[in-house]
Amino acid sequence: MTVRRWIATLLLVVLAGASACRHQVENTKPDPLLTVYDTEADWTDAQRIIPLSYQQAQGKRIFYQQCVWCHADATPAGPSNRSNLTPVPPLLNDGAALNAASAESLDNIVTLGGAAIGKSAMMPPYGRMLSAEEIRSVIAFARAIAQPPYNAPARAGSP
Amino acid sequence: MSAEEMGRLANRTRLIFAVSSVAFLAVLAISPFKDFRREWKQQKRSYLRFAQGRPDTKKLLADYRPDIDQIWLPGMNVVDRCTTCHQGITQASLAGQAVPQPFRAHPPIPHHVRDWGCTVCHRGQGPATEVAEAHESTLAWEQPILPTRFIQASCGTCHYANLPQTPQLTRGRELLAELNCQGCHRLPGIDRPAMLGPDLTNVGTKVSREWIYKWLKEPRTIVDKDGNVTVDGYETEEEPRMPKFRLTETELRGLSAYLSVQKAKPLGPYKIDARIVAAWSKNPELISQGELRFRQMFCSTCHSLAVTRAGETKLIGGDIGPELTKVGSKVNSDWLIAWLRDPRGYLPHTRMPRYGWSDEDLYKVTQYITTKLTDSDLLTGVPQLGQPTEQDIQLGHRLFLEKGCASCHSIEGLNPQKDFGPDLSALGGKNASELEFGAAKIPHNLVAYVQAKLQDPASVNAAARMPQYNWNQSDLDAITTALLSMKGPPATSALQNLVVPRKEAVFQPMGSFGEVYERYKCATCHKFNGYGGDLAPDLSYEGSRAQRQWLEDFLKNPQTLRPTLISRMPQFNMTDKDAATLADYLTMVLQHPDANPASVDVKQFTPAMAELGKQLYEVKYQCQSCHTIGGTGGYVGPNLNNAGGWLTPAWIEAWLRNPQALVPDTIEPRRNFTEDEVKALTAYLITLRQSIKPQKTASNTGSHVSVGGEGQ
Repeated sequence: MTVRRWIATLLLVVLAGASACRHQVENTKPDPLLTVYDTEADWTDAQRIIPLSYQQAQGKRIFYQQCVWCHADATPAGPSNRSNLTPVPPLLNDGAALNAASAESLDNIVTLGGAAIGKSAMMPPYGRMLSAEEIRSVIAFARAIAQPPYNAPARAGSP
Repeated sequence: MSAEEMGRLANRTRLIFAVSSVAFLAVLAISPFKDFRREWKQQKRSYLRFAQGRPDTKKLLADYRPDIDQIWLPGMNVVDRCTTCHQGITQASLAGQAVPQPFRAHPPIPHHVRDWGCTVCHRGQGPATEVAEAHESTLAWEQPILPTRFIQASCGTCHYANLPQTPQLTRGRELLAELNCQGCHRLPGIDRPAMLGPDLTNVGTKVSREWIYKWLKEPRTIVDKDGNVTVDGYETEEEPRMPKFRLTETELRGLSAYLSVQKAKPLGPYKIDARIVAAWSKNPELISQGELRFRQMFCSTCHSLAVTRAGETKLIGGDIGPELTKVGSKVNSDWLIAWLRDPRGYLPHTRMPRYGWSDEDLYKVTQYITTKLTDSDLLTGVPQLGQPTEQDIQLGHRLFLEKGCASCHSIEGLNPQKDFGPDLSALGGKNASELEFGAAKIPHNLVAYVQAKLQDPASVNAAARMPQYNWNQSDLDAITTALLSMKGPPATSALQNLVVPRKEAVFQPMGSFGEVYERYKCATCHKFNGYGGDLAPDLSYEGSRAQRQWLEDFLKNPQTLRPTLISRMPQFNMTDKDAATLADYLTMVLQHPDANPASVDVKQFTPAMAELGKQLYEVKYQCQSCHTIGGTGGYVGPNLNNAGGWLTPAWIEAWLRNPQALVPDTIEPRRNFTEDEVKALTAYLITLRQSIKPQKTASNTGSHVSVGGEGQ
């Protein structure tokens, strides 16, 4: 029947039009580590690689320059000064000690030093040496490597 | 035609017309439907729904428009429509992994997206309005998004100066320089090191033809399947600079023949005093004494040796000079003596200092090296090569030029070629279609190409002349980053203004100081006004820091000031005259304007002030957490046992006020001392004294582990 032929033609046109709408590009799964700025091996499990954002990576850099000497058990120079101090400073990844502290209180102890907030004077103030942004990035790095992991308080509008 | 027929035809025509009209309408309807279904419009709608489901909807939708959003920066050639889909990029509340892409906020970085756009850093296609076309390499557009792991490359396209925030890029540039990539390639902004591969004018007097053969065949390095580099069977993290050339047996014979006859300018032979040889050659202590002197002279500051401890063999020592575990089986002993006496006589650009040897020390140390640092199996597997034939020598001569040896190694009378390999100054901007992938099974994009070529040049081009290097993953990524940063000169003048140029650092003093400075190669380890090594403290302002007498004593008998560091400053056996020349120059010239030693009068410091300073040091500021005095205190800063004999009061004061003003990268935190506290602490510190006069001890005889961390 002619009408049927026309309907068939019409359907073909619609199908052709619809198929032209989208051409799929093959999506290959990239290496997940390609999409991160930097990484840090978990201090408690070297096999676990923690991805770091730009800010956390800056924190890592500053940590390994300034803080590692007392807040880690191994330093780029070998021995650590940590065991030499009383009270013993917390490791930077010590979630049990640091997760409970707010970003503000950590910021204060780094900026003003231990003595200013009633803690050990062995922790010097860094407020005149590091910028506020640098201190925030060190805290961001501490949060990233924390063990047990740090869970940000769910609060809208907080970075 | 009958009327009936006419009517049927008309009916039929009407039907055709009706059906065509419907079809036409349907086709017309596709267009708005297609428009409605566009990827970016879907993203816009889904952002709308996403924002409405959050508490801060109003803020998130404050500048929402259902259109294409674009950042247009004509001066920089930027037309970025990325924010059409990445709509939450500047919304602080959308930070964090919990927010789905593409709505997540951009992590905080120094440049604002509205001022710079996206593609300047991330590359990709700014004007594209489809996900695939914007991010990936499609037929029409060829610049894919730069993986974030290499994003520092984009910092380097404008910042020619090294930034502290981009350590990976800086490391990559250092590698390009250290490995002398510009020996063959054009790489703007990368320093060509003064010390390339060793000059080979006279190499035939140093090593045998068999050794050259083995070295060329397998430059000592092996990489295991985990990517660990092994030198002579000992694991190391350092990349040896000599890469592996893929040479055939004939080529190995030719090159080894050619090089073994290079004896044009032999070093003057040196005869060690016969009385010393007679006195020591039969002495059973000879070798152990040689080893002791080897250690006391701190050879291990620059050279490593394989040491086996508790069943584990490791290379221990510095990486400035070559590893020496088997050097006794490598070099000719006459050459060794001549070299140790005057390294610059053999290699004008060497970084090896010239020691003041006594004949006795020279004899003991060379005997130790040629007896103990040996391996009788070093040349196993090397065929008997015999005397080089004229034909082999001719072949070697030709290969030396063809293979690019002359790009790193000079031989007197041989003209090195310029720009031997491809120009890489615009490699980072190349499209995939401009690259040759050969049979390599890798993704067709620039990053994969660069990494494949670096790892195994033959994989993308079997005829490549480029030799094979061994990289660990982080060095491979670093050098890839540095190469990707080279996008050629900026296209527009507006971009040229953005370029942050690199300052070239040079410190080449003249006169008698310059002569001594060259002889002891101070800049191999120390930095002067930004020029030099970073193994040891920066000496740019040493004249303000140290007292002249202390400098002179220290140069004659160096000791470490840092409890965590094992002493590394070599015993040069410096003459009094040399020590005085160095101390004079350092004191007179290398001064900081804020710390003029003459400006502080020591008489102002009273014992009462010193007592107060001691209180401040021990109680209020607890400086002992990092510094040691008299055996108690921390390991981080230098010990202050001799602060009064070492530092100038002017330096202590200026340092306490602002340490970073004197040494920008020092880790001493800048405190908020009052002026009275500064004076009191200075008064206390200058009372601390301890003699550093030379004393014969056997304390420095252990193996010296070289460790990082310097600066004051």
